[in-house]
Amino acid sequence: MTKRIVSFFIVIVLLLVTIVYSATTGSIKMGFFEFIGALFEGESSQMEAIRDLRFPRIIVALFAGAALSVSGVLLQSVMRNPLADAGVIGISSGAAFVQLFIVSFFPALFFMTPILAFMGGALACSLVFALSWKSGLSPLKLILVGIAINAMFTGLTEALISLGGSLNTSASSVIGSNLTMRTWKDVSTIVTYGTIGLIGAFALYSWCNLLVLQDKTVKSLGFQVARARLLIAAFAVLLAAVSVVVAGVISFVGLLVPHIARRLVGHDHLVLIPFTALAGALLILVADTIGRTIVAPIEIPASTIMAIIGGPFLIFLLRKE
Amino acid sequence: MDIQDIIVSHDNTRNHLNGVSTTIVKGNITTIIGPNGCGKSTLLSVISRLHSPKSGNVLLENKDLLHYKPKEFAKKLAIVYQQNDIPKDLTIEKLVGFGRLPHQTMLKKNHDEDAKAIDWALTCTNLHQKRTTNLEALSGGERQRVWIAMALAQQSEILCLDEPTTYLDIYYQIELLELVKTLNEQHGLTIIMVLHDINQAIRYSDHIILMKEGQIFAEGEPREVITKQVIKEVYGVDAIFNEDKQLGYYMLPVGI
Repeated sequence: MTKRIVSFFIVIVLLLVTIVYSATTGSIKMGFFEFIGALFEGESSQMEAIRDLRFPRIIVALFAGAALSVSGVLLQSVMRNPLADAGVIGISSGAAFVQLFIVSFFPALFFMTPILAFMGGALACSLVFALSWKSGLSPLKLILVGIAINAMFTGLTEALISLGGSLNTSASSVIGSNLTMRTWKDVSTIVTYGTIGLIGAFALYSWCNLLVLQDKTVKSLGFQVARARLLIAAFAVLLAAVSVVVAGVISFVGLLVPHIARRLVGHDHLVLIPFTALAGALLILVADTIGRTIVAPIEIPASTIMAIIGGPFLIFLLRKE
Repeated sequence: MDIQDIIVSHDNTRNHLNGVSTTIVKGNITTIIGPNGCGKSTLLSVISRLHSPKSGNVLLENKDLLHYKPKEFAKKLAIVYQQNDIPKDLTIEKLVGFGRLPHQTMLKKNHDEDAKAIDWALTCTNLHQKRTTNLEALSGGERQRVWIAMALAQQSEILCLDEPTTYLDIYYQIELLELVKTLNEQHGLTIIMVLHDINQAIRYSDHIILMKEGQIFAEGEPREVITKQVIKEVYGVDAIFNEDKQLGYYMLPVGI
């Protein structure tokens, strides 16, 4: 019990520290007290720049991290598989492909991108389910099918970029999974859909807890497993799709964060889901802040940093299975 | 419960149950036995609605099983499966609490009633002392009792058990069957179970259903059903039978 409280406390403190550090570090620098002062009263030109450029980026990073991590928890619960992650099994690339497709061919539908990206993610998710279900969802097979689906959608996306490169220049800005140049409009998208997704996920915590039992057992309790799976998976895809739309494809977050979170706060989703959201937000913000400060002015995208950490981590988990 | 002419096929090439009809009497311990692959577990899975039959129907209180809503049905009948994965990081209390699900809706929970039912289930299965222990720390016999406790928390009238003793040491086998007997005699539960051990079936059942190749070969009171001739025909085994003052009627397989 105390381990849980300590874990929450540490993550929240780290999160606050990182937010302040991230806001005050970079090409425009500010001291901590100067920053706090400017935040609450003063209008300085420095603060204005931070407000317009850095705040959206920080908020997007926080929400993307929370959304992707919770999406991972939900997928792992639905698929009864500790290795499921929206990025690894192709849900994110499905959403990214649809997003790019819309931007390239139907720019008029741009305002509907989140919903259409959701449908792309849902398509990828159902493909993974349909193709690996027969084997009773063996963890390895699901990952293999997922990687194949991921490769397919990534390939389609790249093909689209090659074909449409001359047609549309905004395509490359869509696909680069970089957190630079995020605007308050991006913030409102990810906050709106992200909040819906996170609240929905939390509301379903007791269902997630039940899914640790075998299907036949939960069925015998009068629980409608298929319906629950569908709804939980829908929220998982929503969370993944919205972060793809705003922050691009970032893999392995949904794998890493829940795994560590379970060790710290246990398997009860009532605690696990909020903790994962906080820890995921922290991880992506740290990755993004490191990425933009370590070799400034060159920026390393957060997704690249996550891939460098995440790849070996997946191998580690696979070896442990 | 009335079982009428059930046909089940898992793969559409052969019938795993081929026209099974019988009646299960309320308040009895009914045991289904038979050689491997005779369809005994399949019959139990039809009774518990895990599989639906290709044709035929099962009536529970004169209503077709498939017409019950899932939760309504879970209040009537609970089942304990043979093999259960042990979830990580879950206490006995929490798992047994899942058994209250049929009595809860998303918005409505009766905490007093739930707590009472969980207490009762833990007391019956002698797990009260360990209620906050994690499942991973339990022995095989205790684990099996935990799953039974979860089913008991459903407070159903019928309890189904699929080979409850198969993976247990004989000590725990006896302990478990005595528990089943107590539940039947003192709490009035109707028991339907599948057993492998013929002597256990004889000793603990009111009614035995003996199956062979997807059909009921014989059924009735243990003594009537389990005879030298029947065992030879169904199992292909020669057996001798004896009557002991303490043990009652029992069988000893001697050769093939």
